[in-house]
Amino acid sequence: MKKLFCAWLLALAASFTPALAASDNKVSAQWQETVNKARGQTVYFNAWGGSQEINAYLRWANKQLQAEYGVTLKHIKVADIAETTQRLLAEKTAGKETGGSVDLLWINGENFRSLKQADLLYGPFTELLPNWQWVDKSLSVYEDFTEPTEGLEAPWGVGQLVFIYDKQRLSNPPQNFAQLLYLAESFPGKVSYPQPPEFHGSSFLKAALLELTDNQQVLYQAINPNTEPDKFAQVTAPLWDYLDKLHAVAWQQGKRFPSGSSETVQLLDDRQLLLAITFNPNAANAAIEHGKLVETAQTYAFAQGALSNIHFLAIPWNASAKEGALVAVNFLLSPKAQQRKADARIWGDPSVLNLKAATKKDAAQGFALYKSIAEPHPSWQTALELEWQKRYAN
Amino acid sequence: MIRALYFITLFICALPFIPGLLGLILPAFSWLPSLGMLTPNVNAFTLLASWPGLSHSVLLTLLTGLGSTVLAVLFCFLLLRQYWNSPYWQRIELSLSPMLAIPHIAFAIGFAFTFSSTGWFFRTLEALGFNTEGWFSIIRDQYAVGLLLALAIKETPFLLLMSIAVLQQIKVTQLLSVASALGYSHKQAWLKVILPQWLPAMRLPIFAVAAYGCSVVDVALILGPSRPVTLSVLVWQWFNDPDLSLLPRAAVSALLLLSISLLILALIRALEWYLLQYCRQWQVAGAHAAQSQGIGSRRHYLLYTPFVGVSVMAVVLLLLWSFAQRWRFPDLLPTSYSLRFWQQESLSLLKLSANSISLALLSSFCALILAIVCLEYRQKYQRGLPAWLIALPMILPQLSLLFGMQISTYFIPGNWYWLWVAWSHLFFVFPYLYLALDGPWRNYDIRLDQCARSLGFNGWQTWWRVKRPLLLPAICLALAVGISTSLAQYLPTQMLGAGRISTITTEAVALASGQDRRVSAVYGLLQGMLPFIFFTLAIAASRYSLRANRSHQQKRRANADDIIAAKPHYR
Repeated sequence: MKKLFCAWLLALAASFTPALAASDNKVSAQWQETVNKARGQTVYFNAWGGSQEINAYLRWANKQLQAEYGVTLKHIKVADIAETTQRLLAEKTAGKETGGSVDLLWINGENFRSLKQADLLYGPFTELLPNWQWVDKSLSVYEDFTEPTEGLEAPWGVGQLVFIYDKQRLSNPPQNFAQLLYLAESFPGKVSYPQPPEFHGSSFLKAALLELTDNQQVLYQAINPNTEPDKFAQVTAPLWDYLDKLHAVAWQQGKRFPSGSSETVQLLDDRQLLLAITFNPNAANAAIEHGKLVETAQTYAFAQGALSNIHFLAIPWNASAKEGALVAVNFLLSPKAQQRKADARIWGDPSVLNLKAATKKDAAQGFALYKSIAEPHPSWQTALELEWQKRYAN
Repeated sequence: MIRALYFITLFICALPFIPGLLGLILPAFSWLPSLGMLTPNVNAFTLLASWPGLSHSVLLTLLTGLGSTVLAVLFCFLLLRQYWNSPYWQRIELSLSPMLAIPHIAFAIGFAFTFSSTGWFFRTLEALGFNTEGWFSIIRDQYAVGLLLALAIKETPFLLLMSIAVLQQIKVTQLLSVASALGYSHKQAWLKVILPQWLPAMRLPIFAVAAYGCSVVDVALILGPSRPVTLSVLVWQWFNDPDLSLLPRAAVSALLLLSISLLILALIRALEWYLLQYCRQWQVAGAHAAQSQGIGSRRHYLLYTPFVGVSVMAVVLLLLWSFAQRWRFPDLLPTSYSLRFWQQESLSLLKLSANSISLALLSSFCALILAIVCLEYRQKYQRGLPAWLIALPMILPQLSLLFGMQISTYFIPGNWYWLWVAWSHLFFVFPYLYLALDGPWRNYDIRLDQCARSLGFNGWQTWWRVKRPLLLPAICLALAVGISTSLAQYLPTQMLGAGRISTITTEAVALASGQDRRVSAVYGLLQGMLPFIFFTLAIAASRYSLRANRSHQQKRRANADDIIAAKPHYR
């Protein structure tokens, strides 16, 4: 049954894709049908609910969708999207092939890979969306942490690993990891990073490794530290060397680490740290806006660029309101929705659309993206986290 | 009738274990057909054993679980000895409801606001001219001191509350006067006479505290050590691992956590047995010359102040933070205030509260009926639910148990989300209600029943007119405990309701994941509001029923001749 269903989906997708290329009219007829079917549907959108700004943005999106398409977007707030992937797995285990409880979810990286490998996603669907044409294809929208997206998820926003500093307290922020260590040595106890396997902490390790290693290419291929221990040890040796030195002069003598990005922001504001770390290139503005940071705080990236990834929207294979979900994704990719999302007073998440999408009035999103560095293969993250655990967890 | 109800209870409250445990054991042996894992093996066990720092995590869990429980029991006993039947006791009893109502997570946040390295305590030190940079702080310290203390302080009021009903049953005043007539000092009498009766009756509440101490995740995340984390946090992190193929490792670790928790319960039980049964010479060694001045030496609030102090501090700081726009270290007070964090959340508040309250009332009242049935069944047939079965839902990591439960609900066609959530609440509330009633039921003097029956009441009448009024205080408190337990459920609501039933708690936890101090403070306070109302009601009701009871008895005494003279009505 499952295979049949997947085959049917593939056939369906295959029949759409050439049609898309062939003529716009046919697509819009196809799309019109989706829009008609979607009317009256309720889309249960499972997404992280830890930010009042994002929650407010989604409330706005719901109002727009109701007015324009008669689709209700219900934000199911979760503390960790892994809760939702677990639920999908449970539904799969129980053989619930239709009428699932999730219609749309906000994921990327490991979560996506997991869901894709377990066949828990609907699609490919991205090319069905009229607003797909506006998406900036120069961003890595076809790959999610080196895992091909294959149209199973649509890009929603951009994350870049950047630092925040307070201009008043630090006039010359470090431009690379070597300078960061120098800064930590000059001001002992004022530099730290979130503890891996927290997302930002692991990303810090990857960014450091990318700069410190002399063989970047190998980081974009899969690694298995059990079968290739020598290779892993040789590539990562400079990183551990670096961390040994950094921990000796880090915040709390490297005995403790912040729990995540938010705590680094808090500690920056409390004058305990000189640098906070975040994945939102607009975080400083948003934080100032919300009273979390002083007005002299500023975001910047290291000279080598910023580790970048895209966060995506995906539809589970058993979603009840697939048409509604497609309409919702299409709306969230519209220039109007993306522009509002990029506004620092609303959310401040960079747009994934190209400049052509922007009308004259809103030509720029208010800030430019930093030079981007692609994410290494996810197997490196797992291996780095484990090795960090071995070396520093006790 | 009672037998049928008893089996219904078993059905409702024990059935979920089957899918729950299956959903834990099968993945532990790497059997997960939906992920294409079809050959059972023990790889996950070796994966767990080779995890660096595992033994350290296990030790931390043992330390916090056992340590916080022993401390809380000790605090509780000392407080009771000091204040029970004293004029201060009423005030302590009044202070219990707000202290119990503060949710663990809110208490933890407030505790962290107070004692973290940029918290209020250090701000005060800075204001006094110290440079606190690099000082030791008990928040997230590597020895778990902060976690242990916070748990012990938070659990003491719960044990005090559970003690009220127990002590009301074991006629403390009479026992103490007999003991003092025999030459025992106040302290000795409490230790040698009251303790041996109080401790066994408190067994289940103590188990609950221990189980909570071992398996707690949210509080440990805020206050616990991070290098390494406690076992419960490790299990939680692994269950949330995005790589689904690592699920077997999480399942194995959950089994390990389960066995450690059971071990701790066994240790506590063994300790009780050793002190009260095996090594009991100290109890019967007789009275020693009283070294202290006895009852007269009760010092005011000295003993109780830290508990109230920490809780009040936590709430005050939560309040301040919820209105703070800018509040940097080391400022003692916020530099600018704002109402926006309250305003943003006030819109949906009514609906969320309605959901929370209806779920809590439904599940607690059902659980109350079922718990009473079980206890009556035990009294009648001398066969009760085994303590481990009661304790299991409290010890098992919810995440692991719920996975199996969730799968089984999908086998039933239709979307009965509300029903499943109510059922899961019932499942997790029931043990707390049961343990809250266990002690009072155990100590109920069965001769009262026999007496009433011999005077012509039938079984129902006896229960309703003799037993119920006497146990009403305990029932009120138990209900409040049940309601507050239901109000605090996050995972069951979220997982079995597919996220579609939102309560104050689901909203609070989701927002707290953003780690904004202001938002956390707002929801910490909101989360405490509902339990506070219910605890206050329960304590008021329990006092009222006691008083009503007493005046009733006096009335009877006035007409004692009537009762003796009148002919008993045989029916």
